[in-house]
Amino acid sequence: MRFVLVLASVVLTLALHGQARSWPVAVSVFNTSTAVPYTRFFTTPVHPGIQAGTEYDHRARARSRLFQSAYLNYFYHGHLAQGIGLGTELGYEHRVWRGLVAETRLGLGYTHTFTTAEEFTFANGRYERKGDRGNARFTPSFSLDLGWYLRPGDRNAPKLFLRYQSWVEYPYSPDFIPVMTHINLHLGVRFIIQRKGGDA
Amino acid sequence: MRRTVLWLACALVLGACRKGEDIPAAFYDCAFSHTDSSATNPAGGAYQAVLDGMVSGGVVGVTMSVYHPGSGMWTGAAGMADLHNGVPMKACNISRMGSTVKTFTATTVMMLAEDGLFDLDDRIAAYLSGDVIDRIENADRATIRQLLQHSSGIYNYIQSTAFQTASLNDLVREWEPYDLLAYAYGKNAYFEPGTDVRYSNTGYIMLGLLIEQVTGKPFARVFEERIFQPLGLTMTRFAGADPVPDGIVRGYVDLYSNLQVIESTYYSGWDYHTADGGLISNPYDMSVFLRALLSGGLINAASLAEMLTWRTESAPDPEFFPIAYGLGIFKVETPEGTAYMHSGDAIGYYANMLYFPDDGTTVVYAVNSNYGRIDALVSTREALARILAGTR
Repeated sequence: MRFVLVLASVVLTLALHGQARSWPVAVSVFNTSTAVPYTRFFTTPVHPGIQAGTEYDHRARARSRLFQSAYLNYFYHGHLAQGIGLGTELGYEHRVWRGLVAETRLGLGYTHTFTTAEEFTFANGRYERKGDRGNARFTPSFSLDLGWYLRPGDRNAPKLFLRYQSWVEYPYSPDFIPVMTHINLHLGVRFIIQRKGGDA
Repeated sequence: MRRTVLWLACALVLGACRKGEDIPAAFYDCAFSHTDSSATNPAGGAYQAVLDGMVSGGVVGVTMSVYHPGSGMWTGAAGMADLHNGVPMKACNISRMGSTVKTFTATTVMMLAEDGLFDLDDRIAAYLSGDVIDRIENADRATIRQLLQHSSGIYNYIQSTAFQTASLNDLVREWEPYDLLAYAYGKNAYFEPGTDVRYSNTGYIMLGLLIEQVTGKPFARVFEERIFQPLGLTMTRFAGADPVPDGIVRGYVDLYSNLQVIESTYYSGWDYHTADGGLISNPYDMSVFLRALLSGGLINAASLAEMLTWRTESAPDPEFFPIAYGLGIFKVETPEGTAYMHSGDAIGYYANMLYFPDDGTTVVYAVNSNYGRIDALVSTREALARILAGTR
């Protein structure tokens, strides 16, 4: 619980910090899967997800920046689970050529998952329908991105990105499947919301 | 605004939960006539107590048959066949029997060998070709006998993490034999053929292909013609043509090890079309089959002796009773004596069949729930010891 509160405060701090000047917003849709990372790129069937987040630059130079991100997301993995997650990532972006950038992110998150099917709980010697309180998961992640700034050289220009995110779900099933590995393939856009008088 | 977003998020999560299928209780009625001594069996109360004990620990439902030559056949059930519709389990209900089919596969192979269609010591490569032989290490040298006895060293595709995650990613997919064999392509063999034993589903998929190659028929039809019909196994079938037939009990998984189960009836698509799983039956029929096989009613004495020729693995599983590998059957040293057995898993189902050669006692049980904490009630050494202590 303490971990979730700390994470939530990081997300909130970054959001408020962004709002004080200008607010980078990253929105993506993604396809999630249970898979061994780097053995598959695009998987079927599609299990959809959506993510929204913000970023804060620790250090920005002409060709690179080191930043912190914070995000909220939701996914629906058919027949298996749906989850609401929040997390933060330490990211490094490097401009490769014109508007083309490569990026890597190391993240830590929390996801609360719920079954997508009717659940029966064993209590008092029999199975009963009970409300699904869900399952708590730590969700560390590692991502590789390719992005394209629509106006090369302008850090505030909208950026389209494709993100290959590998992540693990822990604990998954104690004494049975301790850790579950996943891939999220994101397609998204990052843009800046300028506040009046903001200095971006 | 924020409150609206919160409510929308809650509605999304709650609304995305599928309810169970509404099924009338009559769906689970059995068109099944047989005679047994369940009503008069003096040990019936003790057997029923075993089943009730499993259910009181968290098993959703269980059926069982216990045969003693002196007292005949007892069948019983406990728990639920369908939680959503509140339907109790009946002893006649059919369930997924998973890998117990390997004993049927092996029996069929022995029959075909008796017919002279091949020799058990022929290499499988004499009958199969292509990627199955070229891309699976040891497949070019392994014999039919080695595939039957799990001594080929061929990699078990089910051990592939890539397969396991792919299976979870598409739980309702129906896998074809070559889709599954592909997960063994390029994998290192466990050992040189014939030098050790280690369980391999891959070998039994290849044996299914062998049956089809030499008979020109789907292997499931060969099972039907050579085993199901002659023995009158009216409640037994292979999943392929009708994976979720009328009357099959719902399956449940404790995926997160917390005794919170979800239905998984449609999630065993990896064994619908291959000879390493996919059997659907009930404990009565399974008992009839096992006793017929081991009393010489299906294959000749020489073939049976070959099936019951044992090998032990160099690194035994310390978590289970001492076990030896025959051809499609195992010999296990239980606290209640030596038994010939084969068990099987599907997603949401588990079954086990045991025959005690000292007195012919035959115990078969099938449960419609597994994984997580339920496995400790049905398939571990301790679980088996408890079940056998109450049925021997």
